[in-house]
Amino acid sequence: MKDYIRSVLDVVGESPFVPLEAHAKKGVLAVEKLAEAMEAYCAGNQAVLEERTIEIDKLEHDADKLKQKIRAGIPSSVKLPVDKKDLLSFLKQQDSIADFAQAAAYWMNLRPCKTLPEEIKNGFLELMGASLKTTRLYDELAGELYKLLATSFSKEEVKETMTIIPEVEKLEHDVDVLETALLKRIFENEEAIGGAGVCHLIGLVERIGGVADKSASSADRLRTMILKR
Amino acid sequence: MDLLVIALILAGLYMAWNIGANDLANAMGTSVGTGALSLKQVIIIAGVFEFLGAVFFGERVTSTIAKGIVPIDVIGSIHPDIVAIGMLAAILAAGFWVTLTTFYNLPVSTSHSIVGSVLGFGLIAAYNGTIALSDIHWGELTKIVASWFISPALGAVVAYLTFSVIRKLFLHRAKDLPLVERKFISLQLITACYMAFAHGSNDVANAVGPLAAALRVMGVTGLEVPIWVLVMGGLGMVIGMATWGYKVVETIGSKITELTPTRGFSAEFATASVVLLHSYSSLPISTTHTLVGSVIGVGLAGGIAAVDLRVIWRIVSSWIATVPIAALTSALIFVGLEVIFL
Repeated sequence: MKDYIRSVLDVVGESPFVPLEAHAKKGVLAVEKLAEAMEAYCAGNQAVLEERTIEIDKLEHDADKLKQKIRAGIPSSVKLPVDKKDLLSFLKQQDSIADFAQAAAYWMNLRPCKTLPEEIKNGFLELMGASLKTTRLYDELAGELYKLLATSFSKEEVKETMTIIPEVEKLEHDVDVLETALLKRIFENEEAIGGAGVCHLIGLVERIGGVADKSASSADRLRTMILKR
Repeated sequence: MDLLVIALILAGLYMAWNIGANDLANAMGTSVGTGALSLKQVIIIAGVFEFLGAVFFGERVTSTIAKGIVPIDVIGSIHPDIVAIGMLAAILAAGFWVTLTTFYNLPVSTSHSIVGSVLGFGLIAAYNGTIALSDIHWGELTKIVASWFISPALGAVVAYLTFSVIRKLFLHRAKDLPLVERKFISLQLITACYMAFAHGSNDVANAVGPLAAALRVMGVTGLEVPIWVLVMGGLGMVIGMATWGYKVVETIGSKITELTPTRGFSAEFATASVVLLHSYSSLPISTTHTLVGSVIGVGLAGGIAAVDLRVIWRIVSSWIATVPIAALTSALIFVGLEVIFL
């Protein structure tokens, strides 16, 4: 039915922060699935790996759709309590989390893990766990956005948010350390793994580390967005 | 009773119904959107306080519409029926324009429409030589038009300040934020009453101002606007709210869920205060436009996640269009009615 209304209350636009939080959730969920995919990969369970890859693919696609929606929802006539450019650059980083999860899952599917030494497998599981931890903390941080807006950026709330960000960055640093250690072990086992295998594993380390990297740089952009307001 | 008076009453009732169905509903929609009040509560509050505002505080603006723009006493002393016909033409023109714009969802103000169409009558009277062009109260008209710019801006300022205070005193100190918001729900009950009262006091004039003018020059009533005229306008608006406005309230309420009780309270308090101030100053303004100003004010104070300023251009263009169109239609209808009645 057509609304016979002379209303002007569309002055209250749709908040981009609601889909922004949903977008963060998609990324984190993709990383959760990636951790399961990693276990399946190390266990040599190709069926589960493929299943998880499809799920991650879908989550990444959902995240992309939300990203488009957010971008389309802020034309020049819409005024936000934060800088629009900051919001968009934050969104871009946040979107990369799911992108890296997807890239890592694809990468695993390229080459099955046949003869990986146990210590390398454990190294990967440890690295994945640390990456997931970083992303989970990031998710918590993204959840703070809601409170920030509800209190209209109260000092207390900003302070609380600002304490989480360095924690995310610290976890990301832990991931960096694990990455280097794992790469070292991969090269130590280069005879057993073979040249192509080494090449493949390096790529995998990079992608899994990338998930944590992007979580940290999203956190960093979030800080800029809040403080520059 | 005179056929013209009956026609004026009917047209006035239609206009009142329209105002109740749309403008009152717009004003009350914010209370439903925040979940502060249920639809039923809003309708009851709107009904009671709109009526009270119209009856007890509606006289000043009604007088402005009746005699503040066009010197009806001068025209009336020549021939009272000219005023009656002119006022009938004015209310028909305003009613027509408001109906048309409702159909196309344009944010046109009933106050602007009626001011424009009463002016149209004044202009045709001057064209016919009944009065001189300079007899039209241009000074008063300038004041009215200026108030259309001032009222939304004032709404924005008051809402900005109100929300800033709430933010500093409550939101930034909140240990339990949902509790603070819940407390504002009860305050919103008060602002909803305030809003309906303010709206009634200003907008009843748009429906019954022309009727009051005709009754006066025809000698049916004295200098004061008779209470039964205001009661009739109030009733018409309440009926409009009850028969159609609830749908509008529902639609608006479902669209502005972003407005939490603290924000809704700020916008409503500012709007009602500004509107009531104008009712006191006898100036007919648009409640809806003031509400937009207030919402923008809350937004500028950092209270709303996304404020869409596109609406400003829609409002400005509706201003520019409304006065000339209403005036021209009113003049044309007057010419037609003149042939029939005189």
